[in-house]
Amino acid sequence: MAGISRFRIGGLIAAGFVAVAVLFYQATPLEAREAEKPGDSVRGVTLWADNCARCHAMRDPKEFRDDQWRVIVSHMRVRAGLGGQDARDILAFLQASN
Amino acid sequence: MSWSGSNYVSAVVALAIASGVALSEACAADDMAGLQAEVDALKKQVQEAGEWRRSDSMVHLSGYGAVTYSDAQSENGAYDGVVFAPIFHYQYKDLMLLESELEVEVGKEGETEFALEYLALDLFLNDHVTLVAGKFLSPIGQFRQNLHPAWINKLPSEPPGFGHDGAAPVAEVGAGLRGGLPASGGRLNYAFYVGNGPELEAAGGELEGVRSEGMTRDEDGKKVLGGRLGFQPIAKFEVGMSAATGQAAVARDAAGAVASDPARDYDVTGVDFSGQIYGLELRGEYVRQKAGAAAGSVAPDAAAWKAWYTHASYPFQPGKWEGVLRYTDFSMPDANQGQRQWAAGVNYLFAPSVIAKLAYEKNDGESGTAADADRIQVQLAYGF
Ligand code: HEC
Repeated sequence: MAGISRFRIGGLIAAGFVAVAVLFYQATPLEAREAEKPGDSVRGVTLWADNCARCHAMRDPKEFRDDQWRVIVSHMRVRAGLGGQDARDILAFLQASN
Repeated sequence: MSWSGSNYVSAVVALAIASGVALSEACAADDMAGLQAEVDALKKQVQEAGEWRRSDSMVHLSGYGAVTYSDAQSENGAYDGVVFAPIFHYQYKDLMLLESELEVEVGKEGETEFALEYLALDLFLNDHVTLVAGKFLSPIGQFRQNLHPAWINKLPSEPPGFGHDGAAPVAEVGAGLRGGLPASGGRLNYAFYVGNGPELEAAGGELEGVRSEGMTRDEDGKKVLGGRLGFQPIAKFEVGMSAATGQAAVARDAAGAVASDPARDYDVTGVDFSGQIYGLELRGEYVRQKAGAAAGSVAPDAAAWKAWYTHASYPFQPGKWEGVLRYTDFSMPDANQGQRQWAAGVNYLFAPSVIAKLAYEKNDGESGTAADADRIQVQLAYGF
């Protein structure tokens, strides 16, 4: 019994990896990066309000400069599992509000 | 022909005007050249001033510091926590982020404890997939990866079982994929990894603990595969499921290092949730680590470590005062060594990342140990 449930867990995680691999092939390839949509600060306001106080107190947009927000948002993109477009939209909002 | 006086005057005036015009033209040309030089210099300055913003490589320093005073029933009150945790960030375009946290602490005898809490290279492959390699905080559950920094954690202490040597894995050395995408009206985030996995500790012929700080050796030779899937059906509400599976071996017992103990099954399961409604924040998390039986081991029997907590916080005066309540139940293979804890606290936020905390813990564990001693803690933390 324990053997079966271990097998299932391993299978599920492996399936997760496969799903991500598919996602990787379907989404923008690296060379097409230049064509990525720029951030939209209007979408960014809502995304910021919904996401940026989920784990910790909301940090004031005025606390950091544009270049600092760029790195911080990349950090939070990885930590919170945000999509690239959501991250660019939030960044556009933060850079327009500091 | 002789010039009349008026003719003479006109000639002089004309001469004066002509020379005046010539003179002012010369002056204007001079002014223009000067102005042009000034504009050029200004342009250069503006360009230089903006260079750091347009550069491809960026550097950023963040992190946190915290000072804690604890007064427990069983010990003298002391300033027992002084932590400095700088985080270094280097980013190349929107392609690569290096994130690394050091944890520097003052030990009981005044010595300095130094640890590489994490070092991860995050390669943004596309909008939905990021490759993460290095030593990273365990993606299992929420506390370790999202809540442990002192300016974020709403209580001065970690919930029992979610710190070092607890029920929840701490960190992993390996590689994985992380990211997020929209899914059926909500959002999905994921983190999968392959890593060296933990090592086990034994004492008196029994399994005693799991060392999951992330090691660069793999004593059992089998990798651990794990991950977490988080789903946000609506904004500000998330449920997560975590699991890991692989093998681990005993690497240490009371006598010291144990060589070539047999590999055994190692499994982790976890669920977590977090949500906010009218300012009230609720969180909960359950995690279980289990090591299977292994004939021929210094500790042959199977063992499990389980812990769960629920946590509620409410801002009485938003952005200033908040109240916190947390209940934790941690059970170990040795039933006597478990711990149950109620923790209640009041926090004052000087700023979103400058927080003063006062908390009381009611602990119920093995009598005569710290796990059973109630305590009061005061902490000041700053995230920068
Ligand atoms: C999934 C939880 C989570 C979410 C969601 C989240 N953060 Fe964070 N944030 C963290 C953690 C954890 C840290 C501390 C990093 C550490 O100590 O490793 C942090 C640190 C920060 C810092 C300090 C600087 C730094 O980079 O360490 C800022 C500023 C910040 N977050 C802003 C944001 C913004 C803006 C958002 C919305 C895009 C956001 N956070 C969303 C967990 C989160």
